[in-house]
Amino acid sequence: MSIVKCTHCQLEFDETVMITEEKSPDVYFCCNGCQGVYHLLKDDGLDSFYEKMGNATIAPPVESDDNAENFDLESFKQRYIKTTAEGFSKVDLVIEGIHCAACVWLNEKVLDSTDGILEANINFTNNKAKIIWDEDTIKLSEIIEKIRSIGYNAYPYEQSAEDVKASSAQRDYFLRMSVAVFGSMNIMMIGVAKYAGYFSGIKPENLHLVHMAEFLFATIVLFYSGWIFFRGAYYGLKNKIINMDLLVSGGALITYIYSMTVLFGANGHSYFDSVTMIITFVLVGKYLEVLGKKSAVDTMDKIKSQVPLEATIVEEGVKRVVSLDEIVVGDIIEVKNGEKASVDGKSIVKESIYDESSLSGESLPVEKQEGDMIYSGTINSGMVMRYRATKNYANSTLSTMVNLLEDSLASKPKIEEMTNELSKYFSLTIILLSIVTYIGWYLYSGDLEKALIITIAVIVIACPCALALATPIASLIGISWATERGLLFKEAKFIETFAKVTTVVVDKTGTITEGNLTVKKQSQELNPQDLALLYAMADSSTHPVSRAIKKYLEQEYEKIEIVELEKIEQLGGRGLKAEYKGQTILGGNSKLLDEHYIELDSKSDYTIYHFVIDVRVVASFELEDSIKKDAREMINYFQKIGVEVIMATGDHEKVSKKVADEVGIKTLYFGMSPLEKAELLTSLKEQDKIVVMVGDGINDALALSKADVAIAMGSGADVALAMSDVVVLNDSLKGIKESFIISRRTYTFIKQNLLLSLIYNMITIPLAMAGFVIPLVAALSMSLSSLIVVGNSMRIKTKEL
Amino acid sequence: MNAVLKLELIVGLLASFTMLTIFIWSVKKGGFDDSKKMMDGMLFDSEEDLQDAVNRENKQKALKEKKLKDIKKAKEEG
Repeated sequence: MSIVKCTHCQLEFDETVMITEEKSPDVYFCCNGCQGVYHLLKDDGLDSFYEKMGNATIAPPVESDDNAENFDLESFKQRYIKTTAEGFSKVDLVIEGIHCAACVWLNEKVLDSTDGILEANINFTNNKAKIIWDEDTIKLSEIIEKIRSIGYNAYPYEQSAEDVKASSAQRDYFLRMSVAVFGSMNIMMIGVAKYAGYFSGIKPENLHLVHMAEFLFATIVLFYSGWIFFRGAYYGLKNKIINMDLLVSGGALITYIYSMTVLFGANGHSYFDSVTMIITFVLVGKYLEVLGKKSAVDTMDKIKSQVPLEATIVEEGVKRVVSLDEIVVGDIIEVKNGEKASVDGKSIVKESIYDESSLSGESLPVEKQEGDMIYSGTINSGMVMRYRATKNYANSTLSTMVNLLEDSLASKPKIEEMTNELSKYFSLTIILLSIVTYIGWYLYSGDLEKALIITIAVIVIACPCALALATPIASLIGISWATERGLLFKEAKFIETFAKVTTVVVDKTGTITEGNLTVKKQSQELNPQDLALLYAMADSSTHPVSRAIKKYLEQEYEKIEIVELEKIEQLGGRGLKAEYKGQTILGGNSKLLDEHYIELDSKSDYTIYHFVIDVRVVASFELEDSIKKDAREMINYFQKIGVEVIMATGDHEKVSKKVADEVGIKTLYFGMSPLEKAELLTSLKEQDKIVVMVGDGINDALALSKADVAIAMGSGADVALAMSDVVVLNDSLKGIKESFIISRRTYTFIKQNLLLSLIYNMITIPLAMAGFVIPLVAALSMSLSSLIVVGNSMRIKTKEL
Repeated sequence: MNAVLKLELIVGLLASFTMLTIFIWSVKKGGFDDSKKMMDGMLFDSEEDLQDAVNRENKQKALKEKKLKDIKKAKEEG
């Protein structure tokens, strides 16, 4: 058996389970979806997509249950479609399934070649698309179908005021930063001539010329790029707060004014290069902050785009499509197969099946009886059903989750507040020290210029550099080390928090277990005829149990004859019924056997699947979600170093306890809703614990947002990945242990660096205040201190993991 | 010597400010809004993409003209 790549999605599978084609023996497909898209692209001459993809992988296309015609409804148009000045229609979409630049290329190319589409612009960074089209030539539903036909999906989103604001702030900061970098690079080049002149001799008029050029660049950088610091300092002073902005803008302005006096005749050296450097370094950090805020807004738009647009209510037998806000308690709501429930309510039909994976994380659909709760956001996996609304949209589970996520995204960076608090005192101390230095030296020497030079030396020597570099440079090395091992830290601050962790909360499905059912036991061997019938039965359903049986048969049996069943019938919550040449075939759980009066003693802790031909039980299968192989090692490691490990799952007690016992977890919370998981996290934090949450599903998103550090598995749901702070790309639990070791080691080096820079400041600031350091030496020693910090940080990666 | 230095400096400054102006124009037009696409897009630049851009412009022009005609016609009729 050899492993081959799917020609379309590039994911690797066993050769025996792949779809092959007689005409082209070199192509393999993992599913019909991939095969369909491959041929579609080939026929349209778009197969250069595969060259552009390189080694990237994409998700296999999934057939969407949503009806694209909803996009043409009047209520949809009113909410999402805008009209341009020229009379064309415009919509903002989030495109699902974009993994690489080739995906963007393909979508744009296909849309561009579609008649009636004027503009299709997809942003690769946030997967948002802007589409402008002519309504008279093509409908939006047709455009959506076009996107779906090539294996992607699209959801509309309302461009919020925050999105517009965040985009404009990102552009503004990018421009200011670029101008600062431009100015710094030019000044550095000019600086080569200037500093070479100090040693080899330079004519005063030439030096003046060089100073003039530096002055030009420094002026632009200080007053254009550095404007935000002046603004920040002004608002800080207005609110009686001394902030880092005041130190940066004040230090740069004083240095600039002093350098100008030198340029226009005074004796001394100019420091225009220091002015641009100070502004540029700090501005780069600020830009990264703005990018973080923009990405939070994008995440929220993605989550909101998953909310259903409208619901069908039934009033005296008449159906009416209404927007979610119009639904009132007591309304009867109809939900078709594949649709999401829009508000919370109680079922009024005898039987229905719901996919509650968005709440519980469990992939098996849940059977609902009359009177059972239907939660908003869960998907109807069975027939058309009706339920009575018990809550309006604003108070329903889905809306509550969206609101809580929005709040948590806005309030996350609390460590930043602490850093700002610290820098406030640092800035205040430096400003006070420089004022004392200036007054002291002026009174002592009576020389205004000397007092000014010494004061500038104090500011320059104390300005950002070593102290500011101590944390970022060590974090950068730690993060790059983690990235090499497939562990993505979204922000450096999580290194520190993770290093101090006291409690690890883990989800069960997909985190401790594989998240997929696998067959553990087969009661009897199958003859070729029965095997063919069972395979055909399993192949006709997308239920997780059927999928697991199909996969198992493909792995266990080399040759399976393909037969076609007749009258296939889905029996909600029980299994399938079909006919073949007059025989009745059943495949499903014990309830299905009871219903057909077939007696069999089949008690088991596992999920059971019986295969029956004409009341004869041919074979029974026991299925289980298997535990990941490195789960026990990871849990043991954390417990050994004194970190408490807790399991919080939406699954029921019996299964949860079994898994917890097997991996050695002592504290277990089962049957938890997403809100309860989030409450658990909050209560742990209230006990002053530093909590790391590991999860992968949509149901974990809220709890992830409440954790001090949120870790998601790479294969997890988009929302979980968006909410996480660390992503373990290879899904291995060993990765969590490794990321902890990296965090702890990096944190140790951050502390060492801070100590080094503190010692530097303790020695150099008094020396500068005493007048032993001229500004040039101050600038040089500032660089030297940075080098020491960088050199020390390089040692982080020397440890073997 | 001094004059040469002056000239070099002026030409250098002019060249760099021209580049800066082009860059600012591009940022303001949204050319750098999507950092990922900007970096990876370079890999896909080809004659085919240039041809696509031309076709797109022609299509946009044709659609806009058609729309104008339709609006005019509707006004005349209504």
